[in-house]
Amino acid sequence: MVIQLEKVSVTYPGGVEALRGVDLTVDKGEFVVIVGLSGAGKSTLLRVLNGLVPATSGSVVVDGTEVVGASAATLRRVRSRIGMIFQTFNLVYRTTVINNVLMGRLSETPAWRSTLGLWPAPEREIAMQALERVGIVEKAYVRASDLSGGQQQRVGIARALAQEPSLMLADEPVAALDPVTSRQVMGDLQRINRELGITTLVNLHFLDLAREYGRRLIGLRDGLVIFDGDIGDVDDAIFRDIYGRDITAEDLLAVGGEPNPPTAGSPDA
Amino acid sequence: MTLTAEGPIRPNRPRTRPLTYAVAASLVAGTTWAAVKVGFDPSTFWKVWSNPLWEKFWPVPWDWVFDGRNVIRPLIETFQIAIVSTVIGCGLALPISFAMSSLTTPNRPTYLVSRAVMNVVRAVPDLFWAKLLVTAIGIGAFAGSWALSVFSLAVMVKLFSETVDGADPRPLEAARSAGGRHAPVVRTGVLPSVFPAYVAYALYVFELNIRASIVLGLVGAGGIGRVIEAQRQFFRFDRVLGILMIIFVAVWVIEHVSVALRKRLT
Repeated sequence: MVIQLEKVSVTYPGGVEALRGVDLTVDKGEFVVIVGLSGAGKSTLLRVLNGLVPATSGSVVVDGTEVVGASAATLRRVRSRIGMIFQTFNLVYRTTVINNVLMGRLSETPAWRSTLGLWPAPEREIAMQALERVGIVEKAYVRASDLSGGQQQRVGIARALAQEPSLMLADEPVAALDPVTSRQVMGDLQRINRELGITTLVNLHFLDLAREYGRRLIGLRDGLVIFDGDIGDVDDAIFRDIYGRDITAEDLLAVGGEPNPPTAGSPDA
Repeated sequence: MTLTAEGPIRPNRPRTRPLTYAVAASLVAGTTWAAVKVGFDPSTFWKVWSNPLWEKFWPVPWDWVFDGRNVIRPLIETFQIAIVSTVIGCGLALPISFAMSSLTTPNRPTYLVSRAVMNVVRAVPDLFWAKLLVTAIGIGAFAGSWALSVFSLAVMVKLFSETVDGADPRPLEAARSAGGRHAPVVRTGVLPSVFPAYVAYALYVFELNIRASIVLGLVGAGGIGRVIEAQRQFFRFDRVLGILMIIFVAVWVIEHVSVALRKRLT
């Protein structure tokens, strides 16, 4: 067991209840897809796991460490084991790709060295290997702003991989990408999950992508888990429960014809 | 092809509002009142030029002006003051600006204290700093450097902290989620995006410092300003004009180089 949430609630200042008593257990190596409408609490759920959003009540245990109410040092240690991938990539666009990936090594590098930009050679090596794994190592010294959206998200993935994490959180990783690039990035995530055994939680908006890549599906609505089970069991009735309406074309990413095989990975590489 | 008269009717042009006239009238009245109160007399503008003082500006004694000890060396000292104070002021401004921004401050006390200190520093005019430091540590370039360092710090923090406030918070979240400590998180997550603006502002502050260090010299804080003040006291306006010409050329060159560099940065 890697993650255990018990009665986790999050109330934001201003009174919005993002999560309302969520119970959840995720085992090592699982690939979990979380779906739900905007505002259902998907982003909040990922962020209570690494303490970016503090849980108002309940218990969040990651790798045996309680995150709720943890000290700054404990939080840093927990975060160092959790890679995070963002909808908007969250790169520093005015610096090189390798400098972005090295951010994944912050927790393992003495503060004075990273502050001065004097990254030790072993850390640079880990960053390079992370770039190799997502197939864009040739862009290492290119400015992040000069990459395409799909490449930028791969840098985001490499940054998370450079942490050598045991848990990967992906918050709508393909929402800003076109359908073809979306499948490549999802393929990267799936490959990383299978090859490295990194437990992966992905927030998704598109149901067909969820079906294609996920095994376990969690449906959130108004801060409550209303479905948690095998993705093959999700039928229209369950979908209606999660989304409060029927499936429409907007919920599907499908590009004409057969979808790319999920293991296609990175054709640029 | 003709257009029919059908369709939406054109609106009438709106009338100029009475408030516009009222604002214009009060501006005129206010300016007139202020001018009368300070005894402003347009004819003095012409009378100034008939003052015999102006004849003393010419001819410029070029051999005196180009004698290194008289102008060039104090001018170099002015540049030295400007360089030292730009580096010190802008160097201190970097961490202080980060401490002062709600985005990058390490904690609330640091945020409040740094804001309070900078408000006090900014409230004191730079000429007063110069006077104060000349009194405290004696006449000369050292006092000038100190005063201008404080001035640079105030200007730089004002300019740069606003850039930091407006920086993209998203990479910061990414750095934080990787488990970094505060300083490296800010360094890697924010600094690269705001650094070009920082360098551009530092160049601008250097330009300001060149001009300000000339003015500060007038109150005894070293550099070329002190020479101008001394020559003015001896009514050697011909020499003063020569000095001003040299300064004009030097400042012109520096500003153009600086503007060109800043354009490439932003």
